[in-house]
This record gives sequence, structure tokens and C-alpha cells, in this order.
Amino acid sequence: MSAFGDVDDFVKSAKGLSRMDELASLLADAVETLGFDYVALMHHVTTPERARWAVQVIDYPDAWRALIRQRGYLAEDPVLTHCQSSAAAFLWSELPSRFAMSRRQQEILQSAMACGLAEGFTVPLNIPGEFIGSCSFGLAPGREAPRRALPAAQYVGCFAFEAARRIQRTDALLDAEHGAAGHRLTPRQFDCVVLVAQGKSDWDIAQLLGLAADTVHEHIEAAKRRYGVATRTQLVVRTLFDSQITFADIIR
Amino acid sequence: MLQVISGSGRAAAAPLLAQMHRDRKTVFVDRLGWRVPVVGDQEIDQFDGGDAVYLVATDEAGAHAGSLRLLPTEGPHLLADVFPHLCERGVPRGPDIWEITRLFTTPEHPDPRSVRRQLVLGMVEFAVLHGIHRYTCLTHVPYLSSVLAVGWDCEPLGLPQDDGGVLLGAVVIDVTPETLLMMRARRGVTGSVLLRPETLDAA
Repeated sequence: MSAFGDVDDFVKSAKGLSRMDELASLLADAVETLGFDYVALMHHVTTPERARWAVQVIDYPDAWRALIRQRGYLAEDPVLTHCQSSAAAFLWSELPSRFAMSRRQQEILQSAMACGLAEGFTVPLNIPGEFIGSCSFGLAPGREAPRRALPAAQYVGCFAFEAARRIQRTDALLDAEHGAAGHRLTPRQFDCVVLVAQGKSDWDIAQLLGLAADTVHEHIEAAKRRYGVATRTQLVVRTLFDSQITFADIIR
Repeated sequence: MLQVISGSGRAAAAPLLAQMHRDRKTVFVDRLGWRVPVVGDQEIDQFDGGDAVYLVATDEAGAHAGSLRLLPTEGPHLLADVFPHLCERGVPRGPDIWEITRLFTTPEHPDPRSVRRQLVLGMVEFAVLHGIHRYTCLTHVPYLSSVLAVGWDCEPLGLPQDDGGVLLGAVVIDVTPETLLMMRARRGVTGSVLLRPETLDAA
């Protein structure tokens, strides 16, 4: 099996998946084939409110995952912060030569090493209008980065991220349908609020969704009641904050 | 709205196309440093011939705002003639397969993202209207996640390879009427974004 054959199989299999745990397991197999030990596919979000809609498929050593939570490392992690300024993928061992790391950032890399995450290769995944994302492939101490597999790893990262975004988006809509926790919107309310956020009037929205303007008005009023807010601007802000709608829904 | 410029229609659109070629030089040659042919102050290569179809976005004043080039894959085109090594299993060619190249927006455009969205929507509409089932295109890997985020059915044609310090890869995009409906729904667009969409001027 060629390296491209592996990537092609991964892409075709990922397309058919509808559950995040299935994607995580497919990704874990691909990571092993590429010659890595660990993987973290994620949107860079640091608060629980945002984490609800973000992609977070993380298979790192348990000790390191615990430490990230305890010490709040995510916000300053030099690997993740470097994704903000680098469009190209990079090895973690190249970081010291790329920018001056703070003492805290050096400490983060050393702690990761102590937890069994010695080297890694990170693919920044930046989609305009969304939180920055990345796919990092990690290595245990004493393991060498599989340099010949790096182009394939970049493709696996990109296609895995898109599959995860698609699944996450479907899950979010299903949650809304089942009225799970909190101020969830119904699918129709979701459609209407996204169009409100795009500046559309009741009449516009009615045309776009094939509804009567009165019905649109009622959906929006119902959504406002769910959030206990008085204006449409407040509704858009609250639903965005809640990740009931995302920038990606509005800016497309 | 997007103008569809092809064949004999190019004469009437000559000033707009000249502006497009000048903007292409500014963006691809002066800013991105691509080593592609330049004629005077315009970027024009061997594929800007009679077979090329351009989708061109204009601003209120009628000036070039962004564009892309479509080529039938049965004739000469970038992937087959310059980058065939990026396709592990051969370059996909056929009457229902076209190639997308030179998708870009005018430098300093106030809202490049909406122009880009319109161009992407326009080429999917063009495909549905003209019986195109697949598009091939080249993309630098840092842009790949944005290409995939459109939500269409996209697969790699081979592993990406180094192209002047950046990885470049070829992908194929399947386009169906459902793709167009999905994209219109996501963007809240109901009608055509192409001017005179039903006709193509012969060469």
C-alpha cells in the first residue's frame, strides 16, 4: 500500500462517518500508519461555552491531558499560539528557532516531554471566520519524526478536520432538535436567527425559507423568549456566545 | 453577479479582461512571487487561449473585483501539462471534467470573502448548467482546509509535493445539483449568480 493509498482510504472512509468516536478511531489508525503515537485534532478554544461546538478529538498521554486542564496551558501553548502566525506545518523541535519563547512556554514544552510527548508535527487549520484549528501528531520520547510521511500527515489533518466539522455541525443541529440543555434553538429558529445575523428582514427570511412573514416573526419572537432578551441584536449576540449559531453559519 | 466571458464574447469584454490580467500580475507575480509568464503589465499564460472561460465579479462601477478561469480538461490545461506528477493515478480528463485555476480577488478589495464566495457559488452553478460533473484544481496545502470547508465532495488526486517551499497538491471536486442547493441554502441565496447563465459564446 502506497502512502497516497493510505491517505485516499482515510479520506473515503472519513466521508461516510456520522459519529465523532468513529472518526477518532479511524484517525488513531491513520496516525499509527503514518508513524506517530498520538494525535490532537482541535479548534483552539479555551472556555467551556465555546468548547460545546468546537472540534476536540484528543488522544494524548493521560498525564499530559490532566496537566493541560489543571494548569490552563492551552492559552499559552507555544504550538497552538504559533498556528496564529504560521500557515505552514511545523515540527515542535523547530519552534525555538522560529520565535523567542517565553519561560512559561519553554516550561510547557518540557512538561509535555515529561508526560511522554517529546516531539510533534502540527498542521495549522485556519478557516476565515472560525476559531483557529490544528491537527498535531505527537511522538513518544526516543521516537523519530517520520519525515517522509509529513506530506501525507498534512492531508490526513486537513481531511480529518473537515470530517469533524461536518459531524460536529450535524450533532449541534440534532441537539437543537431534541431541545437538549439550556437555550437550544429549534432548527427553524436556527435558520431564522442565522438570517437575522446576516441582516435579513422578516420579509427576506420568509422568501428565503419559503415561509409566511408572520411565521418568521413568530419563530424569532419564540427564540427571543427562550433567551429572555428584548431585541434581535441581543438574540444574535447571545446565540453566538452560546454557539447555537457560529460565525461560520453567518459568514458564508 | 458574475459575468461569464468566453469565445467571441471576449472582444466585447476586452477592457475588463485586461484589468483582470493586470490584477493577476499584481497578486500572483508581484505579491505571491509565482514564476508565471508576464506580458507587459499583465499575467497571461499559455492556457489563456480560446478554450478558457472566465467567471468575473465586478464592483458597482463595473471594475474587476475577482475572477477565476475554467478550462476543459480534454484540451491543454495546467494540471495535465505542468503538474501531471501531482496525480498518482493519472490526470482525470473528460468532457464532464473541467479545471479551475487563478481564483482570486482584486488587491485591496473591501470584502474579498464575499467575492470569493460568489465565485465559488458561480462555478458550481456553471457546472450544473453545462453538464460538468467534476472540477480538478491545484491548491497549496495551507489553503486546503478552506477549500474543504465549502462542504462539497472533494478528494485528493495524489500526495502534495514541494513547490517553491510550499506544498502543492491536486484535488478533484464532485459537483451535483445537490451541491448547488446545499451551497445556496448555507449562503441564503435563492437565484442565479451568473449573468446570462444559459449561453456560452463559441470560440
